Amino acid sequence: MLNIKCPYCGDRSQKEFAYGGDGTITRPKLNQEISDEEWDNFVYLRKSPRGKHIELWHHIAGCRQWFKVERDTTTHEIFRTFKPEE
Amino acid sequence: MKQISSLNNVHQNGKFGDFENKNEKDLLKISELKNVLIFQIVQYKNSSSDISNIKIDNLELPSTLKSSSNSDTRILWMGPKNWIVISSKTDLLLKNEKQFDEVNFAITDLSHSRTIIEIQGDLVNEVLKKGCPINIDKFNEGDCTNSIYNGISITIDFISNNPKKVRIFGLRSFGESLHHSITDGSLEFGYQSN
Repeated sequence: MLNIKCPYCGDRSQKEFAYGGDGTITRPKLNQEISDEEWDNFVYLRKSPRGKHIELWHHIAGCRQWFKVERDTTTHEIFRTFKPEE
Repeated sequence: MKQISSLNNVHQNGKFGDFENKNEKDLLKISELKNVLIFQIVQYKNSSSDISNIKIDNLELPSTLKSSSNSDTRILWMGPKNWIVISSKTDLLLKNEKQFDEVNFAITDLSHSRTIIEIQGDLVNEVLKKGCPINIDKFNEGDCTNSIYNGISITIDFISNNPKKVRIFGLRSFGESLHHSITDGSLEFGYQSN
């Protein structure tokens, strides 16, 4: 069980959170022509790194805010958590 | 419209669990809070409107994980730019609506959509610890937080330290399960339901 520090509420149990996937993916800009391949990559293509990884988490049973977590996917050590705009 | 509690046929008065040979004042007291006005205030993310001037029943909107209260009304912090107001004054929303312009705020009446269970007694924290993963002991009077209890999303309002008293809010549809979880966790200590 992970102990995750929500940037708004502080330390909480993993039970209160939902995992939101890779936090480094950026959506293609609106009104910009992109190829099917680029769109396909945005929707489906994900890396599965071993080691440090930036992830999105949702404090779904808390303040209901999305935030980012830098976590080691091997050891599960959490290095930092921060708001999406930081 | 008449409000019908979700615990209408569930919450029964009496003493339950390990109450025999115990002083009545040592028992946990469990009651339901009903017929109150509940509404949510959400300030839109892009809004920069100053909230320091807003007063509801002479109470300011509280800061992170805090509540503000008087004898009739409590305002709880639910998240950034998000608060919930609970009041026995059922006309409070009508009287205060003008403070919230539609460009910056969304106000939603939730009076029918919550179940509120109040627990009082020295062993309240022990009951909460049975199903809730937060560090309960660090919360004091005037604090509030969202969490879960046996998998059910709840809001805990820490009303007073002496006597120890908390209110647990759950979604109406989970009211019966939440009531069962709370009373089941209280059986070991004995509780008086009223």
